Amino acid sequence: MSETVNALPQRSSGSLSLRGGAAKASPRGDRARAQWRKRAEIAILSGPAIIMFLAFVIFPVFMAAYYGFFRWKGFGPPTNFIGFQNYVTIFTDQNFLDALRHNGFILVMSLVMQGPAAVAFALLLNQNIKGRSLIRVLIFVPYVISEVIVGTGWSLMLQYQGALNDLLTNMGLGWMATDWIADPNIAIWTLMVIISWKYIGFAVILMLAGMQGIPDELYEAAAIDGASYWKIQRWITLPLLGPTIRVWAFLSIIGSLQLFDLVYIIWGQYVASTAGTSTMATYMVREGRLAGNYGYGNAVAVVIFVISLVIALTYQRFVLRRDTAGALTEKATKEDR
Amino acid sequence: MKKTVKGTALIALSAGVALIAAGCTGGATNNTPAPADTTTPVTMTFWHNSTTGDGKKYWDDTVAAYTKDHPNVTIKIQAIQNEDMDGKLQTALNSGGDEPTIFMARGGGKLADVVTADQVMDITGQISPDVKSAYGDAIFSAFTIDGKVYGMPTSVLPGGIYYSKDLFAKAGITATPTNFEELNAAVTKLKAAGIAPIALGGKDAWPAAHWYYFFALRDCSKDVMDKAAAEKDFSDTCWTKAGDDLKAFADTDPFNKGFLTTSAQQGAGSSAGQLANHKAAMELMGAWEPGVVASLTPNGKSLPDLGWFPFPAVTGGAGDPSAMMGGSDGFACRKNAPAACVDFLNFAASKTNQEGYAKAFQTLPANQQSQDVVTDPALKDVLASYNKASYVMLWLDTMYGQNVGNALNGGVVNMLAGKGSPADIVSAVKTAAAKG
Repeated sequence: MSETVNALPQRSSGSLSLRGGAAKASPRGDRARAQWRKRAEIAILSGPAIIMFLAFVIFPVFMAAYYGFFRWKGFGPPTNFIGFQNYVTIFTDQNFLDALRHNGFILVMSLVMQGPAAVAFALLLNQNIKGRSLIRVLIFVPYVISEVIVGTGWSLMLQYQGALNDLLTNMGLGWMATDWIADPNIAIWTLMVIISWKYIGFAVILMLAGMQGIPDELYEAAAIDGASYWKIQRWITLPLLGPTIRVWAFLSIIGSLQLFDLVYIIWGQYVASTAGTSTMATYMVREGRLAGNYGYGNAVAVVIFVISLVIALTYQRFVLRRDTAGALTEKATKEDR
Repeated sequence: MKKTVKGTALIALSAGVALIAAGCTGGATNNTPAPADTTTPVTMTFWHNSTTGDGKKYWDDTVAAYTKDHPNVTIKIQAIQNEDMDGKLQTALNSGGDEPTIFMARGGGKLADVVTADQVMDITGQISPDVKSAYGDAIFSAFTIDGKVYGMPTSVLPGGIYYSKDLFAKAGITATPTNFEELNAAVTKLKAAGIAPIALGGKDAWPAAHWYYFFALRDCSKDVMDKAAAEKDFSDTCWTKAGDDLKAFADTDPFNKGFLTTSAQQGAGSSAGQLANHKAAMELMGAWEPGVVASLTPNGKSLPDLGWFPFPAVTGGAGDPSAMMGGSDGFACRKNAPAACVDFLNFAASKTNQEGYAKAFQTLPANQQSQDVVTDPALKDVLASYNKASYVMLWLDTMYGQNVGNALNGGVVNMLAGKGSPADIVSAVKTAAAKG
């Protein structure tokens, strides 16, 4: 980047020196020094970040791809090269395909369940109602609590002999008591409820921030024109909230694809796949780390990476294009203009 | 949800860290076996998994006693949380540095992986004759690969069924079950008395898999099990019969309600906690159980009415009814470690040190001469059966390696949840072979 930035001044300084004979040395020296300083500044400021990024993000990705081609137990350097065999195994393993399906379900249902609810909550909290800040805090609290604590708490409450079944029994609703976590017909919905409870606070805060950004004039103009409250929300708030919703949906999708900790803590290492809540990440840990098949685990990591990357890029290309124009994609800016 | 990135990145990250570490320390492996003299200064690092209490103190004291006798030897102790041990060891071994010199090992398939990577020392010829005679040959089998010994055992942890004597009396059970007819009768009596018969920590999967292991121990002959270890061959029908037997037993509904969401050792609601609090009458576990149960009783003291009996005999099984299954904790030396390493292992294996070990960890010592210090009544019963056992198999996940153990864990949990058949357990083991 610094190359292209500096290309122009360099050329003009060159032509200057050809024409002005006397003022030759000093301006060129000044500019060269300024340029050098600029480059040094860029290098010093961005260097550490780039080194960290390369060492801890890019390099491991390539190493994972490398290890994924080996049958490797994790001790010593990998030697047993098996080509794409790990990848063939992954896509023929019913457990992985199940996990992939669960990820897809979680992805879609997170959007469907959390999106409308978050907008509704945000609309409510955008009003001048009593106890607004208290409700805001209450909705946001689950998001702040660590996943491990949330997972442990829910798993204790939802056990067969846990608090929820006790409560139901004592309320005379004993027939509703069931194994909320282990029953394969219910487990994934239990997970969806917990995920929604946990992450809706984040969505609500985003939506609220988005609503704060909508100019009051629009609402005033609509009110003067005699639009009802619901009409105003439908035709002003929602469309102008579009960018926020799209960004939230993006974050939610990425989160759904990489969901790991809640499942791992509530369901444990093995019951997740029995109960039908396993995800690609829990599959990776179980078949890679717990089984001691590190080569295979790396191949799974690569598959997760590629799936996430493809979905993320597709979403950015087709959905987020307008919102991120100029910030992420220079090409899109030109097209839109 | 954003935080979950760490899950995905974990393996990649650790791989990266390992590589960077390799870059930094490469070429530092200059630990040529030193002559066993007493003047050259030697420094060793020692990794064990007792981070608290008596166990930690035992190792501190033992190391202090050894270095007092050998002033030229310095041993740096690092107590590492049990769950972190495998990962740290893996990173350390891959980094090419010389740490740790002495590390904890549990034998079997996992140790075999380290041996294959040529990272651990063959100590066959260096075990002192005293230790050899006091230990007996059998106990070294867990650490023997291709006829060479790679580790020094410190404890034996055979498994069986722990039970509450009070609850058995309350349900009117007069004798401990010796076969499955009697166990089934006991289960019926306990249910009638309103007691959960057997606690099972199904959430952690391995306690459920242990039930399968023990049925396999009774159903399969020693030869078949050894053959499976050597050739990963699970085609013998006894492997399916073990699953069928477990299924038939599970169908009588002997386990605590919601066992699939019960963890093994965490809190009063766990399976060990239910036994400790008289909510359930039995649990199938290894010899660490008395210590775990003691930590979960209301007053934090050992359960006074805790008893033990061997896994009952199975009708038509090819295995010897007196055979036992269990694990063994031990320690190994890094490849090219100084001579002081094995010397220290021999020192820790002595009668007195093993007595201290058994007391500190409330467990059974590997040294047979140290068994007198075992006072826990349940452990004494274990010891009696252990000394009478015709043969002792390793836990199948230790013997057959993590990969097979992982598949068995998943297969057994599935079957107990009604999601798979006994044959699926065996086929899961076969599919696992494709992954590693």
